[in-house]
Amino acid sequence: MVQFCVKKLFRQAYSVKFHISRQMIYILALAVVFLIIVFIFAFVFLIPAGKEYRISRLETKKFSYQVDLIQNEYDKVYENLKGLQADNRHVISAYKSIFNPQRFIKMYRPHFQSFTLSELSAHSEDGKFSVYEVNTSSLIQSPQGFYDFLDGINKSDNIIGVNFPIDFKREGDLIKSSFTMHVYIGNPGHKISE
Amino acid sequence: MQYSFIKPRSKGIISPEFKLLFFFFSITIVMLFSSYAFLKIKILMYDNTMDDLMTKSATLKVNIVSMHEEITYIKLQHRHAEGIYTENTVLKESIHNLFDLVPQKITLSQALLKEDELILYGITPSKEVYEFLLQAPLRSIFHRSYTSYYAMPNGWYSFVSKNYLDRPIQ
Repeated sequence: MVQFCVKKLFRQAYSVKFHISRQMIYILALAVVFLIIVFIFAFVFLIPAGKEYRISRLETKKFSYQVDLIQNEYDKVYENLKGLQADNRHVISAYKSIFNPQRFIKMYRPHFQSFTLSELSAHSEDGKFSVYEVNTSSLIQSPQGFYDFLDGINKSDNIIGVNFPIDFKREGDLIKSSFTMHVYIGNPGHKISE
Repeated sequence: MQYSFIKPRSKGIISPEFKLLFFFFSITIVMLFSSYAFLKIKILMYDNTMDDLMTKSATLKVNIVSMHEEITYIKLQHRHAEGIYTENTVLKESIHNLFDLVPQKITLSQALLKEDELILYGITPSKEVYEFLLQAPLRSIFHRSYTSYYAMPNGWYSFVSKNYLDRPIQ
């Protein structure tokens, strides 16, 4: 009995037929072709593009960090420069300004009875600064006028050094003084290396 | 005369299954291409950003170098100016000290100051007054000191004092 039942079941199973239509086969073929195209596209274009994107992003991030560091250094140096410029405003402008004898006489005339300057002449050039020489002769009532002049010269519009020889000679009640001054002017085009 | 029990339905060239398949295919293609386009656009954007960053970095580096040069130059100017200001101040103090050194009894007619030399011309009531009141302090300042006296009709002496500083040999 059991044997009969099993045989019947097998017979039934063999009798089931899968009917696949032609349209279904077309669809399946198309799907397979499409899948292949998708895979080819992914491996040839999409994955390399993704890789390139990842590398570009990482490189940009890394370089951006480096630029940030450079920017920080720039800010620091800029701040340092601005501080120095603010602290040395007078010195910087003094090295840039051109010596004006009329203005100089007008400024320092009150310290003397009479005050004359010779023509400004180029003295030397040491690469960093141009040195101009001017001879001065003056009449003072007391040495105090000369001291005041030396105090005032450090605050003048130019960098001026009083040089030897200095000659003080009595002329009646007055003292005639003659000395040389060096006027220093910066060379803006000069490159400096520390 | 009717040959079928069902109503006839219109049959297109493309079946609904094919339409569905094409719909999904087209969505997939659009997604693939949009992903590819997105990646390409992003790469292009990163390349542009990189170019900008490189330009910025080069500009910053050039500016840093030029600012360093400027800082060095300002420091040099500051040192140079300070040196000149100090020399002027020292000169003023030296002249001040020199005139303070001359006693009331001695009258100077001329003082010539050089780098390492001081020459004084003047009159003194006696040689002793000069020697005690002016020559002694001058000797303590200068390495060598020579004085010449010339007698005047009124009994005073006219003197010329030459004083030298010996610079150490380098």
